[in-house]
Amino acid sequence: MPDINLTIDGHKVTVPAGTLIVEAAKTVGIEIPVFCYHHKLDPVGACRLCLVDFSPGPPRPQTACTTPVAEGMVVRTQSAMAVQARADILEFELVNHPLDCPVCDKGGECPLQDFTFRHGYPTSRIDGPRLHFKKPIPLSENIALDRERCVLCYRCTRYYDEIAWEQELTVAQRGVQSFITSQFDQPLQSNFSGNIIDLCPVGALTSRVWRFESRPWDMTHTESVCSKCAVGCNTTMWQRRGQLVRITSRENDDIDEGWICDRGRFDYTDVNEPSRLRTPTIRGAKSTWADALAATAGGIKGKGAKLGISLPADLTNEEAFLFRRLLDGPLKGAKVKMHGRTAIPAPAGPTMPIKEIDDARVIVVVASDIENDVPIIDLRVKKAVSKRGAKLIVIYPEGVDLDRNPHTVHIRNAKGAAAEEVRKLSSHELLQNPGGPVAILFGDGHGSEDMNDLASACGALAEQVGGKEMPLYRATNERGALALGVAGWDSLDGVEALLSWGPPPTAGVPTSVRFLAAWDHLPRDGYDKAAVVLPATTFAERQGSYTNLEGTVQFLRPPVAINPPLKEAWEVLNELGAALGLELDYPGIFPIQRDAAAKTPALAALAQTPSPEPVTGPVLVGPAHP
Amino acid sequence: MADEKSSQPEHPTPLRGPREGVPAKPEGKHPGVAADVAALAGGLKTTLSEFFRPVVTTMYPEDKTVRSERYRGRHYLRRYDNGLERCIGCELCAAACPVGCILVIAAENSDENRVSPGERYAKTYEINMLRCIFCGYCEDACPVQAIVLGPEYELSDTSREKFIYTKEKLLEPMPPDVEARLRASAAHPSPLPDGERGTPK
Repeated sequence: MPDINLTIDGHKVTVPAGTLIVEAAKTVGIEIPVFCYHHKLDPVGACRLCLVDFSPGPPRPQTACTTPVAEGMVVRTQSAMAVQARADILEFELVNHPLDCPVCDKGGECPLQDFTFRHGYPTSRIDGPRLHFKKPIPLSENIALDRERCVLCYRCTRYYDEIAWEQELTVAQRGVQSFITSQFDQPLQSNFSGNIIDLCPVGALTSRVWRFESRPWDMTHTESVCSKCAVGCNTTMWQRRGQLVRITSRENDDIDEGWICDRGRFDYTDVNEPSRLRTPTIRGAKSTWADALAATAGGIKGKGAKLGISLPADLTNEEAFLFRRLLDGPLKGAKVKMHGRTAIPAPAGPTMPIKEIDDARVIVVVASDIENDVPIIDLRVKKAVSKRGAKLIVIYPEGVDLDRNPHTVHIRNAKGAAAEEVRKLSSHELLQNPGGPVAILFGDGHGSEDMNDLASACGALAEQVGGKEMPLYRATNERGALALGVAGWDSLDGVEALLSWGPPPTAGVPTSVRFLAAWDHLPRDGYDKAAVVLPATTFAERQGSYTNLEGTVQFLRPPVAINPPLKEAWEVLNELGAALGLELDYPGIFPIQRDAAAKTPALAALAQTPSPEPVTGPVLVGPAHP
Repeated sequence: MADEKSSQPEHPTPLRGPREGVPAKPEGKHPGVAADVAALAGGLKTTLSEFFRPVVTTMYPEDKTVRSERYRGRHYLRRYDNGLERCIGCELCAAACPVGCILVIAAENSDENRVSPGERYAKTYEINMLRCIFCGYCEDACPVQAIVLGPEYELSDTSREKFIYTKEKLLEPMPPDVEARLRASAAHPSPLPDGERGTPK
């Protein structure tokens, strides 16, 4: 793209052709206020708040969010005309906006508040009656809608159309009477609905899970990584008074592009559960860590193949590394089963990065319930199709949400026969001359497919059409656990002793188990029969790293402090190793990371010190009110 | 460094000279014993005359002085006439508090459990009276005039825990002079001119 030179408020700016004025202004730290514009959505020019004055151009204020830059353009955001135009628009936005900022969950981080202070008039001339709606309206279990606060920017409905490919949210009525509503007043069911909370520039769409939990200034926030699936979306976790009160998305264009799914956003209340396990118990009686770990070690030592181990989906690379040491030593021969993992084998080499899906001309999705297994990959595929014009082939026995695009080629295979369909694909017309990269995304059909067959079929197809493969792992750190060889897939039937880390095995505790040691954060049914119960940390208290499905190692930062007697898992594994007679004397998490990086090539990134808090963008400063 | 050290005197010179500040002796001849007695009598006259002046000492705690009607003492949370709490749990008092002595945890009103009008109420409202400096910013910040500072200043108690005033304690019925104080405060509005919000220029 050729570069364009222009001037904004006297600053010389060089940006690629096609850049919008509002984006060009950001590069020199000039704030042009926007409501309807969002850099991930197509511009629409609905709110008119971004009015600026530029020449050559008409002698009226123009919207900066819909106008691309032109060579030699002179933009004035501070001319009397532009400043007054924006202030007038803000006055209009406030005509029907209720004055309930004190009870509004957006208050304190609200663009409407900020823009009114920075660009609006200091006093109000509105003394007439305001438009009233019933409020709050529950749009779903997690989202509340307040129509009085809405400024009709249409970010939410556009997001639903463009990004999520859903038809659940729409605008009813016309003109000033317009309001946002769900289709036929049905509750929202999309797995991506929570993003409209982040998108809403006012307090119209708010979280019901976080409702009235805290004001924004009460919380501290920590940049961390989601632990619900293998995509590894970047999140911001918000803490108040030692509790995890909110999770929001954090934009990382290589992985999530600023979206997270509803599971990642709303599924965190177990962290604050008052009934959480905090103290180790032996046969129901409180004990010390030393006694509990000695009892555990006594029960699981020397059992060989009669010992079963259930691992959580979200164990970190560091914990997996320590566990590998235990499995190589005192627990040799134990049967290991990892929660939620797919049958996909470990990758032979580097696989396709997530961001390359954008550039694919043809995308093949095989044997994966992609919307629920790896939701944000689903949004990436939708973006490549609807914004970049990629063609889409889906091989799955049941309907998927990608079918909402009428051009999707959906091949409904018989269960277990996906490999056969993949082999037939090489002669498919879309793949004859793809005209660019081909992305082959494959899952394991939730265990219904023969993975050796399917993986080789996908590999062969990739070779034939010049495509790249992306195995869609499901468990959070499945790829890291595979690299360390702890992502077991063994049946736990017939084991006599069971170390159940995380939630109990999906198939239930086998009846043959005589000794059960549970290591979990919540009390669950059956733990009263356990010989030892150890309290575990959650993702909000954990240090460490996850390897996501493309192989990127990302570091967790705990938003919530650990209160004794709770201990970090690496510490417990150290002590369990000592109780089993294996010398694991890591003094902290960093030596574990250095050791793991030196011994495992796939985890070499662990050797780098965790990056400091991401640098935030420049503070955009706008003018004072006219 | 060593040079600098050695140049320092072992005992620093005192800042004040030996006779500095001592009044100079009056010059001339001593005026005599009679003049001394007269001066003593003059002093005693002043002392004795105080016997016949009105008493200004207040015998606290039996007697108390009159406070300004705008005096800021302990806090009260107000209710509306229909019994609903005024506080909406917005935490603006906690945000305005310069010492951070207010804790508010909000919750949502429901038809079954209606505590305040509107959507939000304060589930927890606590003030740490040991920390409070009685500046009254909480009262200024409150958008619904729920929190006010009353006239009481005798807040001593027997344990630190008792100084955490909970919502129940803050909602106790107010003494009648709080209303007088609110009226007096209304007569002295904020000195900021209309529309002035401290917007950075």
